[in-house]
Amino acid sequence: MNSFYAANLLVYAGVDIIACLALNLQFGVSGIVNFSFIVFQAVGAYTAAVLSMPPDTAFGYDFQFYFGGYHLAFPLPWIGGAIAGGLLAIPVGFVVLRKLRSDYQAIALLVLSVIANTVITNADKFLNGAAGLALVPAPLSDQFDPNSNGYQFFYVGLTAVCVVVVLVLSSRLVDSPYGRSLRAMREREAAAIAIGKNPVQLKMTVFIVGGVIAGLSGAVLVGFIQFWAPSVWLYPETIILFAAIIVGGRGNNVGAILGALLVPVGFEEVTRLLTNASIGLPPGVIPAMEWVAIGLLIIGFLWFRPDGVRPEQRHVFEDAPMLGDE
Amino acid sequence: MGAAGGTSAAGNSILSAREVHRHFEGLRAVDGVSIEVPLKQITGLIGPNGAGKSTFLAVLAGTLPATAGTIVFDGDDITRLPAYQRARRGLVRTFQLPSEFARLTVLENLLVAAPHNRGDSVFGALMGKRYWMEDERRLVAEARALLKRFGMSAKESDYAGTMSGGQKRLIEIMRALMLHPRVLLLDEPMSGVHPKIVEEIQHYLETLRGEGLTILMVEHELHMVERLCDTVVVMAQGKVIGSGTMATLRKQPEIVDAYLVG
Repeated sequence: MNSFYAANLLVYAGVDIIACLALNLQFGVSGIVNFSFIVFQAVGAYTAAVLSMPPDTAFGYDFQFYFGGYHLAFPLPWIGGAIAGGLLAIPVGFVVLRKLRSDYQAIALLVLSVIANTVITNADKFLNGAAGLALVPAPLSDQFDPNSNGYQFFYVGLTAVCVVVVLVLSSRLVDSPYGRSLRAMREREAAAIAIGKNPVQLKMTVFIVGGVIAGLSGAVLVGFIQFWAPSVWLYPETIILFAAIIVGGRGNNVGAILGALLVPVGFEEVTRLLTNASIGLPPGVIPAMEWVAIGLLIIGFLWFRPDGVRPEQRHVFEDAPMLGDE
Repeated sequence: MGAAGGTSAAGNSILSAREVHRHFEGLRAVDGVSIEVPLKQITGLIGPNGAGKSTFLAVLAGTLPATAGTIVFDGDDITRLPAYQRARRGLVRTFQLPSEFARLTVLENLLVAAPHNRGDSVFGALMGKRYWMEDERRLVAEARALLKRFGMSAKESDYAGTMSGGQKRLIEIMRALMLHPRVLLLDEPMSGVHPKIVEEIQHYLETLRGEGLTILMVEHELHMVERLCDTVVVMAQGKVIGSGTMATLRKQPEIVDAYLVG
């Protein structure tokens, strides 16, 4: 295993962990079926890209069309990506989360994901359409050589810092009285209202916080792969993250991390190995089978182990009486 | 405790509904209901199936908006107030069907209802455990005292979803009490509950009244209404057809015909 491959694997793992922590907060803890999750990651990635790239008239970039091109220094593009994810969540949440029942919310968000991808693909002067944005500068690439071994592991370190920050913050949310209110809303919204919870406010907040984290994950990823296009964020990408949460275990961050490692990262690698070993099979069969496997995985887990590999843990308080203490 | 005798206790009432309507398309589920809920009493709301009792309770709690009419709680017009704000003001309802938070423990079901926890906001939560631990400890102690009183201490760490129907009722009542309600709206608190727990719930409700809590209760079991309720309001076809003590109601032939037969 060469070091580029290792760095690649680790950065993808970090990005998937960040994304799964955000989706777990929305779906696992709060019960919001955000089928447009990948759009928030994409907005973060595009924003980080146009904030770090020079204008599209600059030498070497004039083969593509995009707005902005502010050439900002790191970490501003990442911060901008995170903010953009949160900002997008405001109008989307405002339209989707206030009136609609949760199953219709899921449908509306899925449709939004498809529409957003189609629009960006076809609006070719906006973010360079289907061809996407290329030559996105890697963070601090004006000071270090992004192709060096050292830089690759520096990037892994940056990703790790983001993972740790997101993990600490999301753990504080999930394991707090606020997280308890979110779980109550997930369990039974009508009863949560009856005890004074405002579900629209709770959902909007979680949607925005999740959007910020998703945006950050996109920013981290685009800085590494230095490219972003509609083909990277098709709606099935969201399904993979849902599969990760279901397999890992809903409602807890350990489950979300496990899921991120088992599904997006694990599957990608197994598929790669199988593709290398699949002599005689028509091309494209193994990647197509990956989708079949994702579907089977979701159904299988929901059927046989609905709580995932690492189920949500019961919150037992200090000095809890044991059975028979009465 | 004397009978309040219909609306005559208006001066002493904490919750009043004036000409409240709730229509579903053409159906007048609640059709001009006016009642006064006297302070520190248990008021019963009875009537045949489909009389509009539960709908009326839902309108009082804000679960369903009123089509017309006015609801006054503690001197304030709350007709347009959303349900969660009514709960925060102390007008707290329970549901006809069990409505526990299944994958929260019994203790968490109580804690989640408690107001004034610094950790119950994004900011407070992000500040970390130290910021809200003191509130949490205080509320855990309060919740445990309630659990002890309702004989459910040993169940505090069990998931609420695994409890029996009667225990879920108790959890719901305890959860409502964590909000320090001024008026409790109970929608058939005894339905589907084991007779032994029915006895317990009766006992608890009497104790709560003794402590000064005001309760409005939809209930089918007349002997229970007779035992518990100071005032009884009878509804039929979306309207109030009478109110008073059970003893006085039993003397009114139209009410006996409508509901109290047998």
